[in-house]
Amino acid sequence: MSSSRGAGWVRATLCVTMAVALAACGAGSRTGSETATKVACDFEKPAEAVTVDVLAYNSSAIDPYTNTMVASCSKNGVTVKHEPIDFGGQVQKTTATLAGETGTYDVLETYGFVIPQFASGEKLRPLNELFDKYSGEYGLDKINKSMRDTMSYDGKLYALPMQAQMYVLAYRKDVFDKLGLKPPTTFAELRAVSKKIQDAGEIKHPLALPWLASSDIITAYDAALGSLGTNLTDPAGKTANLDTPQSKQALQELLSLRPFMDPEVTTFDQPAVQQQLFNGSAAIGIMFSGRMADLVNKSNTRFHDKFAFAPPPKVAENAPRQYSALSVDGWSIPRNTKVDPDLLFQVIASSVSEEASKASMPAAYPARDGMVSESSSPYAAAANDAIKNAPPAEPYPWTSQISNDIRPVVADVLLGKTSVDQGTRQMQQIATKILAGHQ
Amino acid sequence: MRKREFYALVAPSLLVMFGFLVLPLYRTVEWSLERVNYGEAGTFVGLANYQQALSDPRFGRAVLFTVGLTLAVTAVLVVGGYLLAVAVNGLGRWRPVVLGVLLVSYVVPQLVGATMFSWLFDENFGGVFNHLVSTLTGQEVLWYTDPWPNRLLIGLDLIWHLVPFSMLVLLAGLQGVSEEVIESAKIDGATTLQRHWHVIVPSLRGVLGFVSLISIMDVLRTFDALVPLSPQAPQIGNESIMLYIFNVAFRDGGQQLGVGSAINVLMILIIVVLLFPFIRNIAKEARSA
Repeated sequence: MSSSRGAGWVRATLCVTMAVALAACGAGSRTGSETATKVACDFEKPAEAVTVDVLAYNSSAIDPYTNTMVASCSKNGVTVKHEPIDFGGQVQKTTATLAGETGTYDVLETYGFVIPQFASGEKLRPLNELFDKYSGEYGLDKINKSMRDTMSYDGKLYALPMQAQMYVLAYRKDVFDKLGLKPPTTFAELRAVSKKIQDAGEIKHPLALPWLASSDIITAYDAALGSLGTNLTDPAGKTANLDTPQSKQALQELLSLRPFMDPEVTTFDQPAVQQQLFNGSAAIGIMFSGRMADLVNKSNTRFHDKFAFAPPPKVAENAPRQYSALSVDGWSIPRNTKVDPDLLFQVIASSVSEEASKASMPAAYPARDGMVSESSSPYAAAANDAIKNAPPAEPYPWTSQISNDIRPVVADVLLGKTSVDQGTRQMQQIATKILAGHQ
Repeated sequence: MRKREFYALVAPSLLVMFGFLVLPLYRTVEWSLERVNYGEAGTFVGLANYQQALSDPRFGRAVLFTVGLTLAVTAVLVVGGYLLAVAVNGLGRWRPVVLGVLLVSYVVPQLVGATMFSWLFDENFGGVFNHLVSTLTGQEVLWYTDPWPNRLLIGLDLIWHLVPFSMLVLLAGLQGVSEEVIESAKIDGATTLQRHWHVIVPSLRGVLGFVSLISIMDVLRTFDALVPLSPQAPQIGNESIMLYIFNVAFRDGGQQLGVGSAINVLMILIIVVLLFPFIRNIAKEARSA
């Protein structure tokens, strides 16, 4: 074969391969707004065409609200746009869009953890006046007061709550029944049931928790510390509680669970934990309630009808709270958007209307009072118990920075690279330095 | 060509180069000397960002990991690409089919390819390779949390992803090697190995240099593949420099754009050092031309 003919073959093959790859790349879709619930979204038609860009991560619990917003409010010269994105991407884009005088997004999905930081930095628009103005039209008075408080800072509301997430324990009822086990209410019981399942021989690593070293692991530590009744910081004196006996106990209790978990658990985020439960390699999982509906979805797992739900256990018998984290998600309006705030508020209010909230179940736990009952979803009872017994939120501007900066130390302790004593000392130093900047 | 036409044709390229190369490079150097957050004007801090970067043990680990990975993977890419090119060159009418199959891994986006590749080693997603290793050795290899197995996993993925490119370029080079010279070597009694080592490889010196250059640059930029392949890269010392820059500037604590920029400048210096032999050769060739 001559070289020119050979080069021709190379070119032709490359073209065909590229074409196939490009076709595959283009086969993706945007969010599934075409199947979303349609609700009232009665804004006045703007004088000129307006595009509302929404930043929200994709998950079973958030998508119903985002899709409703896109489907119901894209009319009368307004186009509501939402591109699929994961949680990590959303966090970065939120920081970037709020940074300058103009941002890329007009509506942001935020959560209680970040509200104090953005509100104190005057990045978000206070919503009190708009809330009062449109409360009657969208029935906003039924939105849970404590969730509204979680989304407030310095007495002002900075996000309209859509739904809450709290830790829920999911377990394989068939496995528990076979071994005569009951859902654990403390970490000691959690270890005991895990040991029995492990000893039965079928499931090597029965317990699955999201402990991703670059993300979820800090929530696990915070949940354990919160269960023992201690916050990361004491806001009055602006001091850290990270070298306290409770902090050491929290880390030791988390370490005590490792023998029952996959040795690579520090690489597991929540979807990986779901996957372990889907494929039967774990029998117990504790993660945010927004992940629970996926477990009972027939198309996800052959065990869909074998899962039962319970509140998360306490870290210790005498612990005042459950091992949990309460996260409230809501919609915020950036200060730097150029779109009419009235229009934007109606867009977000419509997505948390009663009808939209009802349609979000069982994937989500809507922020409206009395909406989640035992008939709403298979995990409603567990979620209602968990929401009452979760450690309180820590709405301070320094919380997210401290969490972020101590995360590698928590990871090193749970990986066994750093001792508990050394780790707590390091964490205290890091937090003290950050708090000094807020004195 | 008239001067006016020349400038009209060159101007778009110059504009693009200025916008996408010169300006970002200038801002990177400027920010590396400032403390700067998103959307805010920077404050000049001299060499403090460089001092912070160089005193961070993570930076040293990232450099060591990246350079080691680059040297190891590039060596395999050049040798493996050559062997594959020779094998494909010897095929008859099946050549385009085999070539098409081999090129799939190169045209799949790196993040997608790395995610699919990771499933071969992840029990949660089937873990075919994992299963095979456990069956054959009775050992459970921790591909994601043990540093060396994880390095092997990353290296294998990069080779799987990049070897089609080196194979393709070397295949094009092989087709330019004179059949007469190879035939003469055969008549002179050279063995297959001798023909490759003394005749074909010297003829491909320029192409091999090009493949090495591109491979070094590709592996030095390793970033998105590490997201699925090494979820706890910082803890096990498998953080590439690009991932380290991203973590410092955008994720870990966020907004350390100054330190991130300083590491970026240091990264450019490392690239220049690694590419120096190739740059010197190009300069030599340009002088002798």
